[in-house]
Amino acid sequence: MSTAQRLIPVTQDPDTGGFFAAAAEGQVALRYCTDCGALLHLPRAYCYQCGGWNSGYRSVSPRAFVYSWTVVEHQIHPAYPVPYTVALVELADEPTARLVGFLPGRPHLYAGQELRAWFERLDDGTTLVQWRPAGAEGDQA
Amino acid sequence: MSGNGWTPGACAIAGLGTTDFSRNSGRSDLSLATQAVLAALADAGLEASAVDGVVRCDMDLVRHTDLAEALGIRQLSYWGECGPGGVAPCAMVGQAVGAILSGQASTVVVFRSLNGRSGRRYGGASAAQSQQLVGGNVSYDEFFLPHGLLTPGQMFALMARRHMIEYGSTPEQLGSIAVACRERALANPAAQMYGRPLTMADYLDARMIASPLRLFDFCLETDGAAAVVVTSTERARDCRNGAVRIHAVAQASVPGTQPGMMFPALMRDSITSLSSRAVAELLWSRAGLGPADVDVAQLYDCFTITLLLQLEDYGFAKRGEGGAFAADGGIGLDGQLPCNTSGGHLSEGYIHGMNHIVEGVRQIRGTSTGQVRGAEVSLVTAAPPPASSALILTADR
Repeated sequence: MSTAQRLIPVTQDPDTGGFFAAAAEGQVALRYCTDCGALLHLPRAYCYQCGGWNSGYRSVSPRAFVYSWTVVEHQIHPAYPVPYTVALVELADEPTARLVGFLPGRPHLYAGQELRAWFERLDDGTTLVQWRPAGAEGDQA
Repeated sequence: MSGNGWTPGACAIAGLGTTDFSRNSGRSDLSLATQAVLAALADAGLEASAVDGVVRCDMDLVRHTDLAEALGIRQLSYWGECGPGGVAPCAMVGQAVGAILSGQASTVVVFRSLNGRSGRRYGGASAAQSQQLVGGNVSYDEFFLPHGLLTPGQMFALMARRHMIEYGSTPEQLGSIAVACRERALANPAAQMYGRPLTMADYLDARMIASPLRLFDFCLETDGAAAVVVTSTERARDCRNGAVRIHAVAQASVPGTQPGMMFPALMRDSITSLSSRAVAELLWSRAGLGPADVDVAQLYDCFTITLLLQLEDYGFAKRGEGGAFAADGGIGLDGQLPCNTSGGHLSEGYIHGMNHIVEGVRQIRGTSTGQVRGAEVSLVTAAPPPASSALILTADR
């Protein structure tokens, strides 16, 4: 990446912080209602399906499939030099749950392509869940 | 369906006004708002003293009290606000109608003012320009911005790619929307792109911004303001230019709408059908009309793909066929549904949906530079994510 400072996610939000805590431990985790099992994604506390307030994060498979993507060619932010690609993925374990990931350059992507999670540690120690083609070089945790 | 206690045409638009549209107005947002509202009042033949209500967009820098003070309004009895951003304009008119029918106001000004090019630019990264820590506080930006998903254009690029995946839509189909809007702007001296023709070759040769969206898939960040005066139809009939009936207005969200302002819409079951499909259902029901009854439409076009998706959501084209509808001439002046007859956000200017309402009124009055002959039913829509709004204007005959 460039020397400009990347954007860092707030990781202490009471609704979403658990996602980033799990990422720091190398897990892709989603929030579920512990009363009825409903998926709460994007994460929030109240389950309107059962009226429950009890929920927690549960790890899911670090596999996903390409749902859509865009190659960004027009520079917006100095810490995100073009070209780069933003992929919108659906998780293998939870097809209704999507996440986005950053891929440098213009990787060849196609709809339904399998991607695997990797965990990018930013300078301040925050961890982002990123996605790249299964079998890509440099897997790390 | 909820919200069906609607009386068609009880209120009307009695006046319209705009400033010039430019890249550098040299004026404050407050001056632009004041100028557009004064023009709308003059158009209606009303004095500022007649105004007792103001409805603003949540992203406007100008507050209701700022405008009232600038105009010398002695006392407001009603004010309201809608949003976020481009979702607002048709809902703002709806709120004015609500205020009038409930007796809280009699003459309500609805305005949008922005130095969208020389001041705060909506095409850039929102919070990302000035801060490093992003998200939290129900923004849900923490799931998007750190990954380089920074702008509305990049989000709509993901929607456009998905539409191509699901239905085989093409760049040329998107290009046909850009070209059609430009053709309307060539007849409109007030349009920013007046005198600047655009061919399909120009469109395809332009640089990629966020694939599959190219330069001319994007609207024009603009300095300017637009306003309308809303009052009862009975009172509007006594105004200088008469009444353009607000036949129906609707705002609606979809189930599973997701929290946050914009990017979380990518988490919904579909990203190729938007909240506009729910607005359409409610709007047609209230109006007692359907797509076949519409003579002319101003469809919110922050990007070409936004217009394409609404062609499908409002039922003018079958799902997946919006691109073909546009490419076959369906949105041209002689097409099945003439669209964005002033040039739209893509080629007239981006006043965040408000100039679309002004143009929708002009079509009923017969004063558009892209006039559809005998237009009696005029549709105007607002931005789709996260929720949306729309209205139908009809002739008072």
